[in-house]
Amino acid sequence: MSGVTFDEVTKRFGDTTAVENMSLEVADGEFMVLLGPSGCGKSTALRMIAGLEEVSDGMLSIGNRVVNNIPPRERDIAMVFQSYALYPHMSVRKNIESPLVANRANRLPAGERSERIDEAAEVLGLTDYLDRKPGELSGGQRQRVALARAIVRRPEVFLMDEPLSNLDAKLRTQTRLELVELHRRLRTTFVYVTHDQVEAMTMADRIAIINDGHVQQVGRPQEVYDRPANLFVARFIGSPPMNTISGTVGTSGTGGNVATEAGVVAVAELSGSRAGDEVVLGVRPEYLKPRDPSKDDPGAGGLRARVENIEMLGHERHLLTRVGNEVMVARLDPALPPPSIGDEVVLEADAANVYLFDPSTTERLGSGTSTPTATVVADG
Amino acid sequence: MSITVESSPDGATKRTGQRVREALLGWAFLLPAMAIFVTFFYYPLYRLIDMSLHRENRFGTAAPYVGPSQLVDTLSGSDFLEGVKHSGLYMVYTVPLGILLGILLAVAANRRLKGIRVFQTIFSSTVATSVAVASVIFFTLVNPEVGYFKDVSWLSLSNPDTALFSVSLSSVWQNLGLTFIIVLASLQAIPTEVEEAAALDGYGPVRHFLRITVPLISPALMFLAVVLVVAALQAYAQIEVLTNGGPGTSTQTLLFKIADPQGIRPLGIRASMSIGLFALTAIVAAGQYALLSKRVHYGD
Ligand SMILES: Nc1ncnc2c1ncn2[C@@H]1O[C@H](COP(=O)(O)OP(=O)(O)O)[C@@H](O)[C@H]1O
Ligand SMILES: [Mg+2]
Repeated sequence: MSGVTFDEVTKRFGDTTAVENMSLEVADGEFMVLLGPSGCGKSTALRMIAGLEEVSDGMLSIGNRVVNNIPPRERDIAMVFQSYALYPHMSVRKNIESPLVANRANRLPAGERSERIDEAAEVLGLTDYLDRKPGELSGGQRQRVALARAIVRRPEVFLMDEPLSNLDAKLRTQTRLELVELHRRLRTTFVYVTHDQVEAMTMADRIAIINDGHVQQVGRPQEVYDRPANLFVARFIGSPPMNTISGTVGTSGTGGNVATEAGVVAVAELSGSRAGDEVVLGVRPEYLKPRDPSKDDPGAGGLRARVENIEMLGHERHLLTRVGNEVMVARLDPALPPPSIGDEVVLEADAANVYLFDPSTTERLGSGTSTPTATVVADG
Repeated sequence: MSITVESSPDGATKRTGQRVREALLGWAFLLPAMAIFVTFFYYPLYRLIDMSLHRENRFGTAAPYVGPSQLVDTLSGSDFLEGVKHSGLYMVYTVPLGILLGILLAVAANRRLKGIRVFQTIFSSTVATSVAVASVIFFTLVNPEVGYFKDVSWLSLSNPDTALFSVSLSSVWQNLGLTFIIVLASLQAIPTEVEEAAALDGYGPVRHFLRITVPLISPALMFLAVVLVVAALQAYAQIEVLTNGGPGTSTQTLLFKIADPQGIRPLGIRASMSIGLFALTAIVAAGQYALLSKRVHYGD
């Protein structure tokens, strides 16, 4: 087994730079998720590991072997594609066997081959389907065949590019668990690409958040949620995403506050900012709530907001409000009576859970000191 | 109400009159297709059979009914059997070579290279060329006096041993445009991810081609095999332009004998030969289907 290391790797397609100066270390046996919006370069990064794209610049290693110039089939990796990429003319058994027989030079004896196929089919519940063609399987079953084809070869690294995106929501949730289970069993390095932050949060050991070809932050799911390195990460992780609004720092008593166009928000930790600094204030929906009208106190501060919509999710409610020019979402306890659409409310943020960002660099203030475990790649 | 009724979209009940009108309308829609089939297929087929049952006298002035005797005589005669042999050879010369060259060109042109479209256009150009024109061009190459290949003995049109092969090469070349386009299109329909999966699995170029590519383009190859067989059995213009059946009778295929540009065979005999060709085509097609269809994989 071995990890994967990107050392200042760049990939250019003509004038487009898909991945720029990427440095990332995937530890041996780790489940690493590359997360980012469509077009951010995550597939390109994965395809470079597979050897399907050449590295333009920098050094890419699998284990302690630089693989820049090593052809895909000698890299000892297996990849699961979004479309599954099964061979339609081969039976499920032949599909799974394919990586074991493709190269005549290092073909395994037939007995061991069928042992491995049976084991992979067993793990993925495909035993009854081995003689079918992929065309006779459902989407979920095809996906399992693709996984089985990946695990029979016992590779150093598993690569997966949005393998769940063609499944329906229920199957996706179920397969997510199974993938985590599979990783736990195999203890092999997984590099998994997705644009879905829920997939990333639920499966990853660590997440690398990518935007525009750059790694924004690498960290454990809870870490990137609790201590986002910059505004992009703050807004990308979490559903609904973090609310943000710009304002100016002021001081008062023990802590401080931020004056926005819609009112003043108390802040427990100024993170090195000083009175008069321009900042972007961020607060997660669960730390924002409308003030109880009976306790209304004009001097207490808060954000003036107008309720635009209320989404019922059963276990919680999302209050969609307009605050100045921003839309802000508050997560409400469904047991409490909600305001009505059109109501004017005052939103209170929990002062201990407010984040401040530098509006010019978009970095979170204090992130350099408070997140020693996260690798932050600054760009600009 | 106890009677079952069909309701039309406006909810009204269909009466018998309406049903008859709809049936008539249905037949009216069928009429153009039926007219074409009857005029150009069923009626000629009937006339063909009728002709084969009548034997013309020497001057072509009368054709009394003789029953199947003429048909039997013709189909067992040496003239017909020679035609079958030449047509068969024509098939053997053109079909495998045509498909092979088509695959070769298509694989070569199926790349993302600058200017590859120029080659793709050149390779497919014979599709837009008539058989007669293409044959004239080919003739300038093999012309015994001035042709570029006049000294290549195995291409000689004046040697009875090589003439048929030489003519069939012109067919191969003329069909190449079509073969190329079909194979290229089916190569380009193979999903990129499947190709990439094969590369990761570790297939080398040759095994990749045989294990992955050929099965995936097999429907196109099957189609081409059928089309090229039919084209071989129907080849005429190139034979007339290049050799006119000669030297001797060495390039007289079955179809050439039926068309009979020198007008040496009576109508009844040519009609009998046509029935023989019809049967031969059916047998070859059925054989092809039985042989190849199990190895063809149609999508999923
Ligand atoms: N083969 C290619 N040729 C040119 N541009 C490409 C190619 N592959 C990807 N790109 C570009 O690189 C960027 C990143 O693409 P990709 O890695 O596929 O993004 P995603 O994060 O959605 O997987 C995009 O702007 C895309 O248009
Ligand atoms: Mg992608």
